[in-house]
Amino acid sequence: MTATSEGIRSSEPISPRASFLETVRGLLGPLAFMTPATLLVLFFFFIPVLIIFGISLTNLSTSTGFKNWEWVGLENYRRIFINPQSGFIFRNTLKYVFLTLTLFNVGMALVIALLTTHIPRRTGFFFRSLWLLPRITPSVIYVMMWKYMAADAPYGILNQHLFVPLGIEPTNWLPAQAWTFVILTNGFIGASFGMIIFTSAIESIPKDYMIAALVDGCNMWQRIRYVILPMIRWPLLFVTTYQTLSLLTSFEYILLLTDGQFDTEVWSLWAYHRALNNYWGNFQWGFGAALATVLVVVGLVMAIVYMRYFQFNELVQEPKIEAL
Amino acid sequence: MQVSKRFLLLAVLIVAALVLTACPAQQPAAPAPAPAEEKGEAAAPAAEEAAGPVEIVVWAEANNVEHWRADGPAKAAEMVEDFDINVTPVNDDAGWGDYKKKFTLAADAGEAPDIVLSGHEDIPVWANAGYIEEFGWCREKYPEFDDVIDSLWDSVTWKGKIWGVPQDTEARPMFFNKKLLAEMGWSQEEIDALPEKIKAGEFTLDDMIATAKEGIDKGVVEPGFGYWHRPRKGGDYIQYYAAYGGRLYDPEQDKLIVTKDALEKWYAFQRRVVEEGITPENYIGTEWSIWHDTVTSGKVLFWNGGIWQWADWATNYVADQGGEEYLFSFVGYALQPTGIPGRPGITLSHPLVYMITTEEASGKSNQEAACALLAKTTTPEINTLHAVDSTHLGILKSQATYPDYANNRFLSDVLYMLDYNFYQPNHVMYGPYFDIVWDFMVKAENGEMDPAAAAEAAVQQLQAELGDAVIVE
Repeated sequence: MTATSEGIRSSEPISPRASFLETVRGLLGPLAFMTPATLLVLFFFFIPVLIIFGISLTNLSTSTGFKNWEWVGLENYRRIFINPQSGFIFRNTLKYVFLTLTLFNVGMALVIALLTTHIPRRTGFFFRSLWLLPRITPSVIYVMMWKYMAADAPYGILNQHLFVPLGIEPTNWLPAQAWTFVILTNGFIGASFGMIIFTSAIESIPKDYMIAALVDGCNMWQRIRYVILPMIRWPLLFVTTYQTLSLLTSFEYILLLTDGQFDTEVWSLWAYHRALNNYWGNFQWGFGAALATVLVVVGLVMAIVYMRYFQFNELVQEPKIEAL
Repeated sequence: MQVSKRFLLLAVLIVAALVLTACPAQQPAAPAPAPAEEKGEAAAPAAEEAAGPVEIVVWAEANNVEHWRADGPAKAAEMVEDFDINVTPVNDDAGWGDYKKKFTLAADAGEAPDIVLSGHEDIPVWANAGYIEEFGWCREKYPEFDDVIDSLWDSVTWKGKIWGVPQDTEARPMFFNKKLLAEMGWSQEEIDALPEKIKAGEFTLDDMIATAKEGIDKGVVEPGFGYWHRPRKGGDYIQYYAAYGGRLYDPEQDKLIVTKDALEKWYAFQRRVVEEGITPENYIGTEWSIWHDTVTSGKVLFWNGGIWQWADWATNYVADQGGEEYLFSFVGYALQPTGIPGRPGITLSHPLVYMITTEEASGKSNQEAACALLAKTTTPEINTLHAVDSTHLGILKSQATYPDYANNRFLSDVLYMLDYNFYQPNHVMYGPYFDIVWDFMVKAENGEMDPAAAAEAAVQQLQAELGDAVIVE
């Protein structure tokens, strides 16, 4: 970089002060463009995290209001640690994130993207549009449709039109197969996000690579494995990381579908239930904030793991060809 | 020159970014609630200046047949003599959780309504937080409050003081299908005597299970339709715990109680009704609309509900078949049977109460006017409108002879249940307590956990989350 800039300038010696000013000037441009994003992250992530952490050290609840609360140190974290449900709910959370992510948000998204980019363009567009329908349906209506699909006979669509004619004993399928429905409802929506990203990434791979692979005699699987997947590593990292963090904190559809019953309570829903929605009131904001803080820490750890696994540093380093 | 242009552009971008991010701060802010001392001084001159009616906002959680909860005070305003009052009634049908959340956030922001209607169990929580006024001074001021049934004042008492006035109460009976019992071979006398037998502890939960099973075996009742309890979370379930001798609260120590033995029997009952085939597998979570449809269609032999559902069924489910008359033709009602032979049946009452918010919570000093308004709301003329329309029990002694109320057959029939009722405790941690016992009950009924193991886990969870606020016995 230095060699390049020296090359285009005069050969006059540069004083250390001038060099420093140049560096500052060089940084001003990127800083200006980064400022809005930085402020957003600061105000909508770092400051809320600090506030949540602060609240987690108090006994703040509806019954204390904002005036009668007290600092309780790490008491809320101790209660999480000794809570017999903590391990169970944590495992539930991992199960929910892992299954939804692998089966739908990344897995199904990739399959749809691959399939719809290997069929006629209009047909591919049509199928991708179909997959967007769950995302654009209001969440309450979307979940209500699933509930009526799963309801016990004589109301449930599955029972009436599929299982009863097949001789399968009807039941209320939602409690009976709660996890299946939790993953399906989330997955049908989650898949469309990755589908769009992967489709655009696959379509932007230069045709030369595909033609070269065909000339070399690659079959379909080899083209996917050795050409497409390595070339969409960056979108894969982004979707995997983003969707993991998103799933870790999302509970909207579980809340509407099961409200955490039938063993489907996940960590974020637990925090919501304790902090904002217990049946007879007295919301435990301090305890709920401690649960949320644990989730932030887990999210940070997972983001770091992903970045190391996908070799994030290599992906973001400056292109070598321009540095010559 | 080029460099300075670039600097100019950068400077403009930075300023624009800062202005954009700072925009909300520059919006005209809503006036913050003034400190208590200031409000006291400022409110009086403001009221004098305005010299108009006192604006009172009343919030209530209510469906279409319960609208008198907020509309009652609006109508009562015409009868208030001490103040010129204009009432803004707000009937909210968003569900109790969201409603309570809305109130607490509004109260913390100093924007609470002047009068809020909610369950009596909110009293310790909201009183502790400083959202509601102690009500004793108001009760003393107006003779209308002397008409309130004495025992109902217990439900609004916390730490020896009164914090609100009851608006309605109810019973949660066990309903039974008279036609199906007759088809099973029960005589009319036997059917008519069932409520008395339950009241005397001669027909228990075990008998109910046996009868429902018999109905299925005889082919009169379809499998899974012998007994339907409430399909979703709610206080009704605590009736089973109480039916097996469970205790909830020790007022002397102001601590919650969990009776381990009763908890285990309750959970075992919930599982047993499924295993015996009288309640469907995977039943909890059934949609309310499906539940109402099914019980009013005459397919279910026994079911637990609330008396307020009677009006809902008559208006919204069987209106085309004759409404209330159709219900009377096949639905019977009794107390919730006991789990211990010989003990009388019981029912849970959950009075809803009007509470006056503090000056700090509402940002207004309308407490005197709110009190006068509640006095005129606590009259047979106003309260009976709600009681009859929504089939809730009245709260006044005089309603027993008030024609509109006394002539209502259903309300008169179930009035005796108040002699066998109990309340949930007024304790700040009852909300989390209930959530925990409910969560493990669902696991027990669905067969995810053995009832004994579920009871053990519930107790551990209660101790972990509630600490010394709960006593295990």
